[in-house]
Amino acid sequence: MIGVFCALLCAAVWIIESDAYRALMPEDSRKITVGVFSDSYWEVQNGYSYQIVNDAIEKFEKQNPGVHVEYVSGVLKEDYSEWLSEQLLSENAPDVFFVLGDDFSSFANAGALKDLTSLMEEDKDFDSSAFYSSALSAGQYEQKQYAMPFECAPKLMFVNRTILDAENIAMPDNDWTWEDFYKICSAVTRDTDGDGMTDQFGEVGYTWEEAFESNGVRLFSQDGSECFLTDPGVEQALQFMERLETLNAGYNVTEHEFDLGNVVFQPMSFSEFRAYQSYPLSVKKYSGFEWGCIPMPAGPDGENISTLDTLLVGINSETRHTQNAWEFVKILTMDPDIQSEIFDYSEGVSVMREVTESEQTLQSLIEDSGSEESLNLSILSEAVEKSIVSLRFPGYEEARERVEQAVRQIIDGSGNISTDQIIWNREINRFLEEQ
Amino acid sequence: MGKRQLSDYVLIVMKNLNLVVILYVAGIMASSLRGYVLTGNAMDFLISASGLPASAWKIPVMVLLLYMVCLMIMHMQSQGGTFEIILKICVELVIGFAVSYILGFGYMGIILLILADMMKYFPGSRFRFPASVIICLFYLLLNSEYISVYFDVIPFDAYLTYYQADARSVMDGLLSAFDSLNTFLFLVYMIFLLRAQLSENERILNLNRQLNAANSELQKANIQLEEYAREEEQMVATRERNRLAREIHDTLGHALTGIITGAEACAALMDVAPEAAKQQMQAITEVARQGITDVRRSVKALRPDALEKYDLEDAIKQTIDEMRRVSNVEIEYYCNTQLNCFNGDEEEVIYRIVQESITNSIRHGEASRILVDIERKYGTLIVKIKDNGKGCKNIQKGFGLHHMEERLQLLQGQLTHNGDDGFTVEAQIPIRWGETEEK
Repeated sequence: MIGVFCALLCAAVWIIESDAYRALMPEDSRKITVGVFSDSYWEVQNGYSYQIVNDAIEKFEKQNPGVHVEYVSGVLKEDYSEWLSEQLLSENAPDVFFVLGDDFSSFANAGALKDLTSLMEEDKDFDSSAFYSSALSAGQYEQKQYAMPFECAPKLMFVNRTILDAENIAMPDNDWTWEDFYKICSAVTRDTDGDGMTDQFGEVGYTWEEAFESNGVRLFSQDGSECFLTDPGVEQALQFMERLETLNAGYNVTEHEFDLGNVVFQPMSFSEFRAYQSYPLSVKKYSGFEWGCIPMPAGPDGENISTLDTLLVGINSETRHTQNAWEFVKILTMDPDIQSEIFDYSEGVSVMREVTESEQTLQSLIEDSGSEESLNLSILSEAVEKSIVSLRFPGYEEARERVEQAVRQIIDGSGNISTDQIIWNREINRFLEEQ
Repeated sequence: MGKRQLSDYVLIVMKNLNLVVILYVAGIMASSLRGYVLTGNAMDFLISASGLPASAWKIPVMVLLLYMVCLMIMHMQSQGGTFEIILKICVELVIGFAVSYILGFGYMGIILLILADMMKYFPGSRFRFPASVIICLFYLLLNSEYISVYFDVIPFDAYLTYYQADARSVMDGLLSAFDSLNTFLFLVYMIFLLRAQLSENERILNLNRQLNAANSELQKANIQLEEYAREEEQMVATRERNRLAREIHDTLGHALTGIITGAEACAALMDVAPEAAKQQMQAITEVARQGITDVRRSVKALRPDALEKYDLEDAIKQTIDEMRRVSNVEIEYYCNTQLNCFNGDEEEVIYRIVQESITNSIRHGEASRILVDIERKYGTLIVKIKDNGKGCKNIQKGFGLHHMEERLQLLQGQLTHNGDDGFTVEAQIPIRWGETEEK
């Protein structure tokens, strides 16, 4: 008798633990929920916040009659991570939700995301080669696919063509190097109006991160347990940074100088580029000069690459509608119609190679920018493909800050660079071990 | 037994304490989760926890249910074998582990409770030591850092960080106080249990001592018993001798009396009526032959297994017939009941009484008329022998009368005699068969 009662109580615990009781609620079975934020991932006001999601829902509901898709509207991107975390903590999280690039590893590590590997393998329609491999790998954590990429944006180099024309310098090639970069910078850095103050500069916002990436440096091991600050590529990059900074002779160049048209180069996300070239915003921001974009300059040991910022879509690990959720994720990320809407209603790049390289995309981009010259489309697909995905692991932010501090001190200090590298590397490794 | 109960009380206190602590920890976790959500720090929690907790309300509910199950299993009386007990402990351990797991391994005192409960099952069992070692290892393993390698669990500290430092230290302090109290209770429990075990051993030693004493007394008694047995043997021999004497008197004595009386008559008749004397001689021969038969029967009867049934009625009739012929005494015989349903010993007694009384009447009373009357009155058989002889005012119990009394006493019977008018002997024998069946 007691045994039966014990078994019943254990069953009750199991039902509570596994949320099985929710399946009893009638409206539950034919409904999936989506977590989405109301504004653009690329921090641009565009007025089309839910357009793509709504179209995807419409398409999904047509393909899966009887299944209803719902989302909570009005959550801003800046609140989205917190909102999602709260929903996860109270076990009310949506079945499918967008995952910001910076949050991905946290959510994956917390077990909030479902491992999609088996779904991908079992689905005959699924073709992973349709995606840019870099975008796909943005959704991987510890060799498992926890999220699918929705849209992405590579980092590109903005070029102020007006200055280059005035200085009689040709637009750099797509495979340009640090030396080309330095030469141009040193050539343009000068006092144009003769007041004794340097008022035209080579670059702004080019940081050690871009330098490391383009010189083949991978700063952390995959699991974030080790730092490779002693890599020879690091020393080259630091020396290059030092040279670049001496050009400005201590003057702190700001982004505002670029907006004013006084700086030749600024690294920028492709999404920013698209946002500001479209008519109303470009008038506001870069009205005084002509501009274009090219890949990042390559270091002596590296390539013309940079990081890829990716917006991901994941499935709640606790969902009871895995198949429907997966179908919806597929429509969001793999449907060419929906993916091509990214070029219409968002500022990112489709994660599908076929869509990004299509004629239709080219047309829509040209329509947007109004001129063919500003956007060298051939570089886009290549830039996405070659991009590297920034590593994320628990404690990454702190580790990055320490590297930042190290770089700052090494460049500003007068000591031996390689000795400093060893010292700092040891300290950062010690920090990582504690994590 | 009193000390054992004391340890049971400690166990009850431990159970209650564990309930309080478990609810306390679950409460902290639940309110911390609620707090994280309410203050908008859910993301921070997820990052620091690197795991997805259960909903706030689920933690106390699940823990409470599991603890109830654990208590109920502890409450179940198991009278089964070692296998059943081991199974029970394994289930308890699984539940204890589940509770600790849900509590983020922030409190593991329930394992100690299970260990304490387990000790109860193995009083002196050979499994007690290995089992307790295993559970202790289990407890140590749970307490160590190893567990977090194999089980991805949100540490209790992650929940505590929600609170401000001072509140946190109070909560932490209270928890470790609870933990210490639990460990202390466990130790007290073990000490009580050990003491109970020791006094139990003492008791067993005491009992052993008593047993030894009783044993030696038993041996003495045994020796005495052997002596008794020897005495008894002698008594049996004496009794047997008496019986032998009785038999000789009854059979040989009777026959010889008849022969003597007959021979005397013969001597008187020899000259007067030789023909009658011849007849008398034949009668004497008959009596002698009967005597021989009696002797043979006695010899046979002396062997216990040779007791055979013979027809009492016929035997009496024959005896009376013989007496009539041998002694010229008129003997009347009345019997209003059947006599063939008595046991051997009863038959023998009845037969002997009749025989002896007739012999006595002829020998001592010189009677010419004897009345033998056997009748049944309710549950008693009354054998009455009356003669018209000279009687006897002063009865000196001879061998015969004495023996009759003895024999009757063996059957719970009674003998009365009267020597006023002739001589009357009356024997009353309770009928055994009359009690069960009416014939």
